[in-house]
Amino acid sequence: MGFGDLKTPAGLKVLNEFLADKSYIEGYVPSQADIAVFDALSGAPSADLCHALRWYNHIKSYQKEKGSLPGVKKPLGQYGPAGVQDTTAAAPAAADEDDDDIDLFGSDEEEDEESKKIKEERLAAYNAKKAKKPALIAKSSILLDVKPWDDETDMTKLEECVRSIQLDGLVWGQSKLLPVGYGIKKLQIACVVEDDKVGTDQLEELITAFEDYVQSMDVAAFNKI
Amino acid sequence: MCRIGFRCIKMALRELSSLERFLGLKKPNKYSTQGGKKVPVLQNNNGPALIGLVTIASHLVHEAKRPELLGNSAEQRAIVQQWLEHRVTRLDNCSKEEVKVILKELNQYLEDKVYLAGNVFTLADILMYYGIHHIVVELAVQEKELYLNVTRWFDHIQHYPGIRNHLPPVVVLRNRVYPSSHH
Repeated sequence: MGFGDLKTPAGLKVLNEFLADKSYIEGYVPSQADIAVFDALSGAPSADLCHALRWYNHIKSYQKEKGSLPGVKKPLGQYGPAGVQDTTAAAPAAADEDDDDIDLFGSDEEEDEESKKIKEERLAAYNAKKAKKPALIAKSSILLDVKPWDDETDMTKLEECVRSIQLDGLVWGQSKLLPVGYGIKKLQIACVVEDDKVGTDQLEELITAFEDYVQSMDVAAFNKI
Repeated sequence: MCRIGFRCIKMALRELSSLERFLGLKKPNKYSTQGGKKVPVLQNNNGPALIGLVTIASHLVHEAKRPELLGNSAEQRAIVQQWLEHRVTRLDNCSKEEVKVILKELNQYLEDKVYLAGNVFTLADILMYYGIHHIVVELAVQEKELYLNVTRWFDHIQHYPGIRNHLPPVVVLRNRVYPSSHH
């Protein structure tokens, strides 16, 4: 936070940009925040900083009431756009706290040498943190319907065959037998696969290879995890 | 009855009752309208009928004993009247082409002013806010940034206690998306 050094053209420029779409430093009424910043200026801003000048003249008109304006004066570094290097207070401490305040749409004029260096340091730290996190593996949860030839097929044996399929990236889950009619039951079995390693075509091939037991296999449900 | 006309009646009457509430007037008045343009009318039992948005609004301000809302000096009063007139003669029922001109002029005017009359809040701000709301609410983000002073003034007025009332708030991004253009 902060505008930088308000006695320099750079600081005044930050103030001007900040005030382009705001009537006051904080909120929608004149407050001690405006007085704090007003007092920090060495005089009226030049005419080319039209927003700062507008604000300055407006706050000047409140000179008589400045003691009774709401709010409490805070150190200058607490006002202004987020993401600007606070050069008023102890700089290193302030920089650390601002880690989460990075202004998404911050204007380019705020970059000076110091703040650029701080930004680079923060970026490096962030990337290092990110690299340590384990990469996310894409997984899917698949529900398979395995159908036998007839009602005399040994469903336990069928399930055994299906579960005997071992692949890297495949984990079998729960199963149940569902009646389909005429006394025939189908095996509904769940599994979790790593998308990169196992595909449903592959599963279908392996399962239907058990020709004695399996008539066909369908994917009943497919969800990305 | 054309749609724009109808909206204008409802808005004019709602505007007046919002104004009454802002001014703290306890007894709401009963308004009627007259003519093709549906100009609001206030029939006072004691005197002649008051006709017209600006006439009635000014009357309400006096009734509420808030003359400062009409300006504190001769010059300020003149400016307030100028903007009240602007509201009724140019802003209301303006065409699509005129909207751009109006916004551009207002934007230029507001470059060095916080309120329409300079440093004080007046009826001009209130009625211009009500009158321009339906335009500002439709502006794209880029347009809001193009007419930056209008947006700033509008955002300020809509947050003024007791003003916004029946109107939906217009979202103003506090951080600008498009790089500043120098006017």
